[in-house]
Amino acid sequence: MIYKAQLERLFVSSVMLAFASLALSIVGIKSQLFQTIQFLFLFIALISLVVLGVQSKTIQFNANRLKKQIIGWLLSSVFSIAIWLFAQKDFQSIFPALKGYKKALNTLEPFAIYAAIVFILFALILSIVGARDSRLDRPGFIERTLVYNLSSKIAALPMMFTSIGIFVIATLWTVYHSFTNSRMLPKSEFVGLAQYERLWSSDRWYMSIENLAIYGACSLIFSLFIGFILAALLDQKTRFENTFRTIFLYPFALSFIVTGLVWQWILNPEYGVEKIIRSIGFESFVFNPLYNTDIVIYGILAAGLWQGTGFIMCLMLAGLRGIDQEIWKAAKIDGIPMWKTYIQIVIPMMRPIFITTLVIIAAGIIKVYDLVVAQTSGGPGISSEVPAKYVYDYMFSAQNLGQGFAASTMMLVSVLIVLIPFAYLQFGRRKYD
Amino acid sequence: MTETQKNSIVTEPRGPKPRKIMSRRNIILYGTLLVVAIYYLIPLYVMIVTSLKGMPEIRLGNIFSPPVEVTFEPWIKAWSQACTGLNCDGLSRGFWNSVQITLPSVIVSIAIASVNGYALANWRFKGANLFFTILIFGAFIPYQIMIYPLVILLRDLGIYTKLPGLILIHSIFGMPILTLLFRNYFTTIPEELFKAARVDGARFWGIYFRVMMPMSLPIFVVAIIMQVTGIWNDFLFGVIYTKPDTYPMTVQLNNIVNSVQGVKEYNVNMAATLLTGLVPLTIYFISGKLFVRGIAAGAVKG
Amino acid sequence: MNSIEIKDLSLNFGNVKVLKDLNLSVEKGEFLVLLGASGCGKSTLLNCIAGLLEINEGQIFINNQNVTWYEPSERGIGMVFQSYALYPQMSVKGNLTFSLKNAKLSKEDIEERVKNASEILQIEDLLDRKPAALSGGQRQRVAIGRALVRDVEVFLFDEPLSNLDAKLRTELRVEIKRLHQKLDNTMIYVTHDQIEAMTLANRIAIMRDGLILQLDKPKTIYNYPVNKYVAEFIGSPSMNFLKGKIVPNKIPVFKLEGGWCETPDLSNYKFKEDIKEERQIWLGVRPESIVVGDEAEKFPVKFNLEAEVVEPMGADTLVWSQIGGQEFHFIVDGNSTINSGDSLRVGFDPVHSSIFDLDSEDRL
Repeated sequence: MIYKAQLERLFVSSVMLAFASLALSIVGIKSQLFQTIQFLFLFIALISLVVLGVQSKTIQFNANRLKKQIIGWLLSSVFSIAIWLFAQKDFQSIFPALKGYKKALNTLEPFAIYAAIVFILFALILSIVGARDSRLDRPGFIERTLVYNLSSKIAALPMMFTSIGIFVIATLWTVYHSFTNSRMLPKSEFVGLAQYERLWSSDRWYMSIENLAIYGACSLIFSLFIGFILAALLDQKTRFENTFRTIFLYPFALSFIVTGLVWQWILNPEYGVEKIIRSIGFESFVFNPLYNTDIVIYGILAAGLWQGTGFIMCLMLAGLRGIDQEIWKAAKIDGIPMWKTYIQIVIPMMRPIFITTLVIIAAGIIKVYDLVVAQTSGGPGISSEVPAKYVYDYMFSAQNLGQGFAASTMMLVSVLIVLIPFAYLQFGRRKYD
Repeated sequence: MTETQKNSIVTEPRGPKPRKIMSRRNIILYGTLLVVAIYYLIPLYVMIVTSLKGMPEIRLGNIFSPPVEVTFEPWIKAWSQACTGLNCDGLSRGFWNSVQITLPSVIVSIAIASVNGYALANWRFKGANLFFTILIFGAFIPYQIMIYPLVILLRDLGIYTKLPGLILIHSIFGMPILTLLFRNYFTTIPEELFKAARVDGARFWGIYFRVMMPMSLPIFVVAIIMQVTGIWNDFLFGVIYTKPDTYPMTVQLNNIVNSVQGVKEYNVNMAATLLTGLVPLTIYFISGKLFVRGIAAGAVKG
Repeated sequence: MNSIEIKDLSLNFGNVKVLKDLNLSVEKGEFLVLLGASGCGKSTLLNCIAGLLEINEGQIFINNQNVTWYEPSERGIGMVFQSYALYPQMSVKGNLTFSLKNAKLSKEDIEERVKNASEILQIEDLLDRKPAALSGGQRQRVAIGRALVRDVEVFLFDEPLSNLDAKLRTELRVEIKRLHQKLDNTMIYVTHDQIEAMTLANRIAIMRDGLILQLDKPKTIYNYPVNKYVAEFIGSPSMNFLKGKIVPNKIPVFKLEGGWCETPDLSNYKFKEDIKEERQIWLGVRPESIVVGDEAEKFPVKFNLEAEVVEPMGADTLVWSQIGGQEFHFIVDGNSTINSGDSLRVGFDPVHSSIFDLDSEDRL
């Protein structure tokens, strides 16, 4: 004998499993297995529905307290069936206007048929569940899943779609295809680690990694350092604090493209800084970072720091403001010099802010792309390439998707190396407190 | 009374301690800030100065010298004549594209994220936190790994390189930070207010529209500022998910300035750059503290 | 007829049992106060009744209808919160009519009800103001008005006076009592303030750790607390507890630990059951039932002690002292001339005392 609660759980979980296999069958893994198993799960759901109906011996619609919800699900299923119908060729030939949306409709077709079936199942099961007397029973699993807090669940659908459908599935899709030899179009032909071998034997990738390492390390250190110093300077009950802050932060409102182009112009050897210094009398002065393969990345770094340090300063300032003002009084009474107070008391107290800032900077660094494109386009030669640009170029210009996938997977891995310890520190520790 | 006591009474300073404006500390403090401020302002100055000069003057003078003869020619040229590829109708096309991209993207992304944040803050359901955690994790994952599957998705939906596609992309990638922003804000609203509204018979949407939203105008303004600047400044998604006809302003700017054909007109380039930066800069200078609050709220609480 | 009935209600937050198998019935028109220290589950219980928390087990009936799974607004309750919880963007009138508009009442009906409620609460002049422009007392009136307009059988108050200052608190307390007498609604009132509880309640439920320890009339709770916790909680200044033992000779005799009682005769005390053998106990005496001076001679239990600290409080004077190393305090008339260091003779009648078992702390 299976209990009611177990049956209800079986129903809901088989519907969800059916959805998972549907999603898997659509996303790349085009094996027949997932397409068939989907209907098997739906069939299991149907059987558990029938058994539930037999057990409770009632199925009603008119006197049902969940009538509204039943109607809602029925309407949704009608809507889904309509979409499915629109996707059929015969139907499209009757209404030619639909042909314009052919692509979208074809994509939605499998979802529509699934949704139509599931919505009808939901309506049926609610007509069983809703017939039960709520005064005697506490609401079962089904009612709690399908009826309770429904608006909230519907409102959260975009979030569910984004988090699972995009962030998880798209990531897994790319990782999966990084092991194939996809070129112009993604293919499912496995080549093992060949893409990675090629990636790691490419000079351009090495250069990208090296540049990213230099850029990352320097911008991490300098922006934290400068940002903190500026914040500390502004925290001295400074007059014109707002003016200074506005000046330090305005580059952050500008895009990397604008930043890159301005600094390209300032560092231009023909007209920019080099020319000015030479015109003062230093004839042999050389300062052309954007044209020197050895130091080009520092030219980009200068622009990056100019754009982002104000932001770090703001975070630091918020952190400093969060510190109890009594600390300063106490330190003053104890006769501790100010710089010592900063180093020994304030900075340790701001540890959480430093960690958060570190993660934000690190996450930003790995995405560096626009700045390089605008300032140097990766040149001269390949000397200012970065991984993000490598990915873009291989995916969209060189038409070597597999390489792009492998490179982006490497980017993901490096982010996870930073992120997982951080998440562990942030959330893991909380459990013990 | 001894002599020393008498003296001390006389020499005791009266009234508030006079503040020395030119103390060593102040000179160092304000001197440093001033130097840094000048460094920060130079690029803006150079942009403006260059964009107001004629090409001959640029070739002769240096980039810091103010224009001898002010001309607005470069601005006009940048706006309506500069060439990208075969199109020679200037940045105006990109500007209008960006407007068309930014407005709906901002509205859609904020509408979705605010409702999401509200559901997470006040109507938690089982599993909601799992989705939220993944969402926040997603904010840190490099976009590059999700770009291509999204190309496929948009292509299948028939909106690849079209505006609705880019709007969808901006809504998706704006969601983590905005949801966090709204969730954090809504949790600071006293729970009793929410309870009172429930006792008063308001449901999910009623409470959202009639109680929560009117109370949260500041956070909506913060979100709008964040999104307008963010989407306006976007380059990566613009270059991937649009085509030359629908390129946003940043992409078009980059193409104008970094195009290899023809003679480089630096004054036009700088005018174009300024034009592109004008929208976020205006928002920044108008919004002031709210901008700071927005970026701080989005970041620190993460 | 029962207005509210709660059967076997349990609530867990994760693994923590917040409410444990509670049973409670409240008569129509009754004023029940849920009293307890913070964290005892009293507000949680109120939220469960209101339907703002989903319970794990049990059933809740309001007006003989099972409302366990009803929405808060469908239960026929009105609720007043500690922080007032007024909608800041709406005017006072908007606050009052919000629920009525949600219930889609007719315009005339709404006007009528707002008029009535604002008359009763004397907030007619405030209708167009925003909550931010009101004083704390006015805000709480509006909050009560919001429950009043709904014309419901049951009012729930969640520490409504805690955010007000002492003077206003007294004023509004009286007003709430007046309101109850006028409307004759069922009211459940959560508070941690024993004076509010004693003054307002028809019955008080004292809660601790998710359990109701005692549910009785205020007087009964004051005179016959079921255990030491309740005895300690009710009454100000709080009860004296003397550690000692009962020796059942012909009559039960009290032996004070570490001290000596002159005539330790407990025969006046009504024990629940006869004391057959020696038992360790707490003897609880309220400071106000102790008599000092010559009159003390009339009482069965009396002893000598020395006044250590004397605190004049106006009408009364509180005297702190010790007996057998145990703290002992009592109230004397405000005009008495006792000074610290004075030797005093005090006495009391065990009929006004409470005796608790030393270990279980339950009343004997």
